[in-house]
Amino acid sequence: MVNLVLNENMKIYRRVRTWVLIGLMATLVLYINFIEWHSGGKKAVGEGWRTELQQENQQWSEMLKLPELNEQNRTFYQEQISINNYHLEENIRSTKGTMWDGVNGSANLVILITLFTIIIAGDSVASEFSTGTIKLLLIRPANRVKILLSKYISFLLFGMLLLLILFVLSIVMNGILYGLGYMDLPLISMNAEGKNVESNMVLNLWKTYMLNSVSTVMYVTMAFMISSAFRSSTMAIGFSIGAFFAGNIILEVLQRYDWSKYLLFANTDLTQYLKGHPFQEGMTLSFSIGVLAVYFLVFNLVSWLLFTRRDVAA
Amino acid sequence: MSNETIISLSNVTKRIGRTTIIDDLTFDVPQGEIFGFLGPNGAGKTTTIRMIVGLMSITNGQILIKGKNIKTEFEQAIRHVGAIVESPEMYKYLSGYQNLIHYARMVPGVTKERIDEVVALVKLEERIHDKVKKYSLGMRQRLGVAQALLHRPSLLILDEPTNGLDPAGIRDLRDYLRHLTRTEGISVVVSSHLLSEMELMCDRVAILQRGKLVDIMPVQQFTRRTDKAQTYLIQAQPPEQALATLRQMEGVQGVKLTQEGFVEVSTEQERVPDLLVGLMQNDIRIYGVQMVSQSLEERFLEITGGKQIG
Repeated sequence: MVNLVLNENMKIYRRVRTWVLIGLMATLVLYINFIEWHSGGKKAVGEGWRTELQQENQQWSEMLKLPELNEQNRTFYQEQISINNYHLEENIRSTKGTMWDGVNGSANLVILITLFTIIIAGDSVASEFSTGTIKLLLIRPANRVKILLSKYISFLLFGMLLLLILFVLSIVMNGILYGLGYMDLPLISMNAEGKNVESNMVLNLWKTYMLNSVSTVMYVTMAFMISSAFRSSTMAIGFSIGAFFAGNIILEVLQRYDWSKYLLFANTDLTQYLKGHPFQEGMTLSFSIGVLAVYFLVFNLVSWLLFTRRDVAA
Repeated sequence: MSNETIISLSNVTKRIGRTTIIDDLTFDVPQGEIFGFLGPNGAGKTTTIRMIVGLMSITNGQILIKGKNIKTEFEQAIRHVGAIVESPEMYKYLSGYQNLIHYARMVPGVTKERIDEVVALVKLEERIHDKVKKYSLGMRQRLGVAQALLHRPSLLILDEPTNGLDPAGIRDLRDYLRHLTRTEGISVVVSSHLLSEMELMCDRVAILQRGKLVDIMPVQQFTRRTDKAQTYLIQAQPPEQALATLRQMEGVQGVKLTQEGFVEVSTEQERVPDLLVGLMQNDIRIYGVQMVSQSLEERFLEITGGKQIG
């Protein structure tokens, strides 16, 4: 099994294409972080954060006076004001103007990891068929389930590598841009009881990474399924990336139907529960995990059935 | 050499939908034999080979490799098989050596020394670290042979192995297969559309037509003529005069001029000296006489009716 994963890794990392993707990933992380810093972040460096927080509070207080403000935004502003006050009272610097602002912002770039891993996964099984190498691969004393599983593991490893690159590069880049001070800055957030709590910044960052990665895993599994089913790279990559981007549009259209909460797209973003605003009333974290687990099993079952049972006639 | 059966097919049938692709195929290949698979395109050669190596499911019947069922004991059965199914498609972005490592990792017990050994065997030492996309067709074919032999299989399956090989390469392959079967007792199942190649390479040939087994026989028996008359080619000057002279003689048939300018004549062996004397008496100069044995190809056309050749 270890050998099979080594083989799959060799097939991933001995390709120029893979290194182009990795290079692109690194460049985008650096570039986007630079732009963020250049277009605003750098102004908050130094002791200006207090004034900025006070200005923010003023703005939000004004907003709260508006009569047409909806319930969601009202709670959001109130929470933010409370958090800002906590910073000011306890004299704990906010992340503004520190490297953490950039690092936390970069966590959204997990979307790139999803895209790039879909490309690798979608091509994997399909290209073995289109180039004919599948014939020599399957006539070895390793059953097809193991081969499929080793491919799957290799994509997860690739995703993790990209995640690690994202983590390291965003720390290094923002460290250079903002300076390495405030390493041990705590994260202030409001818990469910409405109290402000301090938590570890790095821990929280990885929690965000992991939650964002859930959607990566789901779309990669989907790409892999399509790749095994249709044996076409184009279809697998196209469909999965299409679904990934069209998901939110479809959701908006279907939100009024009750059953839309069972859609994959409605559940992939688990950070919706951190923010406390689920897609539909009554959805809970365990509901989403349940729905995702069902999709996950179905995707894998389909890949497995199609890959192990069908004749290789190409 | 022992008579152990290496591969045994019994009543193997493959149906896709309502179409029967392979119909009730039964044969055994003993240790050390080179067994040829002959048949026009679409006869089911490749399908049969794909069933043997487990790439396609078997509708009915069973295939045993060293007594292990390819369907139910796949891993134990396939361990004894090395194969090239159609052209040997390798990972083009990897080097030849990396390709071999890839396959070596999939079978327990293949050492680095063994990899070097097969590389030397197929004479790819100098180019083995180049990427496969830079290989010629013949080099890819040789790399294909190398990957098939890597794990010292008892059964070698080659689908159209001479495709893309130059004449020297074909002779090397043939000699090498002979060597493998004679000294290491490997059995070989080979399919080819080059009938003349099969004639030189195989011990026995099976003829497959529309998914059915037409005949299995030793290759010598296959090419032997049933009647006593043999066909001879005579290189004579001037050919037109030789043609006319021969036509007047007794005990000759089918006298004609070939495209190459030879005179073809069919007669019993005992009559040959008389024919030559007759020709020389008529001042015809003779440069050579050659016996033409009926080739596998002719025999094949005869058996299959000559219509299905693709």
